[in-house]
Amino acid sequence: MTLWEMKAKSHAHIDSICDSLTSAVASRLAEMGFTAGQPVICVRRSPLQGPLVVQIGDCVYSLEQAVASKIRLSQLS
Amino acid sequence: MKKIILVGKPNCGKSLLFNQLTGLRQKVANFPGVTVELKSGQFNDFEVIDFPGTYSLHSLSKDEEIAIDKLNEALTDDNTALLVCVLDATRLERSLVFGLQAQALAHRHNKSIVFALNMIDEVQRFGLDIDADKLSKTLGSPVFALSAKALTGIAEFKKALPTLAANPAAVNNSFSHLDEKQLLQRSRDLGGEFAVNVDLVLKNQNRIDAFLLNNVLGGVAFLAIMFFLFQSIFTWATPLMDGVETIIAGTAMAVTSFTGEGIVSDFLNDAIFGGLGSFLVFVPQIMVLTLIIGLLEDSGYLARAALICHKPLSYFGLSGRSFIPYLSGHACAIPAIMAARTIESPRKRLITMMTIPLMSCSARLPVYALLIAVLIPENQYLFGLFNMQGVAFFGLYFFGIVVALIISLILNQMTAKDKELSDMPFILELPTYRLPHWKPLIHKVLNSGAQFIKRAAPIIFFVSLGIWVLGYFPQDGDLQESYLGQIGHFVEPIFEPLGLDWRYGVAIIMSFLAREVFVGALGTMFGIAGADENIGGLAANIQADGLTLGAGIGLLLFYVVALQCVATVAVLKAETGKARIAWGLYVAYGILAYIIAAVAANVIG
Repeated sequence: MTLWEMKAKSHAHIDSICDSLTSAVASRLAEMGFTAGQPVICVRRSPLQGPLVVQIGDCVYSLEQAVASKIRLSQLS
Repeated sequence: MKKIILVGKPNCGKSLLFNQLTGLRQKVANFPGVTVELKSGQFNDFEVIDFPGTYSLHSLSKDEEIAIDKLNEALTDDNTALLVCVLDATRLERSLVFGLQAQALAHRHNKSIVFALNMIDEVQRFGLDIDADKLSKTLGSPVFALSAKALTGIAEFKKALPTLAANPAAVNNSFSHLDEKQLLQRSRDLGGEFAVNVDLVLKNQNRIDAFLLNNVLGGVAFLAIMFFLFQSIFTWATPLMDGVETIIAGTAMAVTSFTGEGIVSDFLNDAIFGGLGSFLVFVPQIMVLTLIIGLLEDSGYLARAALICHKPLSYFGLSGRSFIPYLSGHACAIPAIMAARTIESPRKRLITMMTIPLMSCSARLPVYALLIAVLIPENQYLFGLFNMQGVAFFGLYFFGIVVALIISLILNQMTAKDKELSDMPFILELPTYRLPHWKPLIHKVLNSGAQFIKRAAPIIFFVSLGIWVLGYFPQDGDLQESYLGQIGHFVEPIFEPLGLDWRYGVAIIMSFLAREVFVGALGTMFGIAGADENIGGLAANIQADGLTLGAGIGLLLFYVVALQCVATVAVLKAETGKARIAWGLYVAYGILAYIIAAVAANVIG
């Protein structure tokens, strides 16, 4: 399951970041808190497949499908 | 002078702390082609330099790369006495990611670093606190808990800074040598140990977002805010613009009364006060726009606006971040093109910059106002709710946006090949909602005016000078017989398909340097003094002279599309780094405008 498939208000944990993202983007995501084991909450989904809003650590971020679908979640939270 | 460098992640309140340290006088250094903007000001005997907010020392964009290079450069400078890293107390873990990187960097360069734990008042409001002493011991560098907004701890910080800068102390901890992964883990551990409860901090933000990002209510709020912004550009700025106009007219009167009649006075009146003055009128509007956008930015709303617009704009190959530049473009393309720097993807940034000139900027307003008064009757419908002229105005703005989106779409298709390679995804932090503080805002507003004048004034001056010389000689002020008039008769055939005679042709050619010239040029040729002030009179004259509806509408659409602004071309050249793109657009939009106008003139007749 990926971050993009999260339902609004649901909780999960980050598993890994897909290799197909460039290393610059991947390391920025890690610095933003997207690292293995971190709990993440999907705060809201936007209409028409717009960017989703997630809360991770002490921040709230908005990510578009192209990047959210490359962040894998661990199956069980 | 010894330097103090201010760094920190975006939205950590760094600008306000900088303002509190340095007071009202500050300089801004811009680097052409990139966003990097270094503000410097004076604090005691030190020069304080405010670096742009960065999430990390590993750059994601060209702008960040240059900011980080500049930071490295500053750290190798012997004059750099101290690095101040601002932390957001409400987001300690995230701030420390950059904080620890900055500390390690300072350590490598043998510089000392202090941490300013900003926004401590927001933490204390929840009845909580962060143990700054303990944090300082753990980090091995001094930590000052303070609030740049509530002014808590600022006096102590100001008192301690000179001593700390005079007696640099090496970083004293055991994790300056850690690698990136370990630093991330370390900041997480520190966050866990010191930070306050996250849910408490984010509760308010998420509650406001539940409204402002709501599928229905959020959309309504978005439209209401945009309406307010437009209102402010067009109604609030008007008294200020009138004021500037009055001052210029007054100065012109006073100066020319000394010079008397003749060539000197003609030159001053037409070229200096007429040419240069007519552009100074737009400075208040740009400042009002900067103020409103600054308010939206500092309050945290702009990030939400970008989020709301991202999906619709992405259909046209644009980003949510293209929204702000497009919006600013309705006041003036110059600050708008500069605002495009925040777009993360270089390709989308380029497409945005290339289409910004199609937004109906305020320089087109006098042209629209004149031609609409000529062509459209002042009828009211639905009890005065709709005014035909108002609808025409809206239609022209809308036309510009539609053309911009179509061209974005085409440019996007054309560059689709290298799409995957160079594209940066849309990742945006939604910052906490905050009441904006007036100090950084005032600086932003004043700076926007100064920058606009600095960039555009020299070009407008030389252009006005050139036009004046061509229009004045050889017959001392007889336009028909002037070089310009001769050129006009020569080029008349070009404008025939548009249903326009040589006078319009000359006005159009002149306005390729700056479109606001059109009304004044036409006014001069219709023999009315001061046509700028008396648009109604000129409109009546044109009506009597007979301008067909088709030619008139064609002319209006021409002005929507044509890129008639040398200052915009100069900024496009600086920001894209390619003269080819800037002048290419100048020619391409000119040709497109011509075709649209010719079609309109012949179809409507």
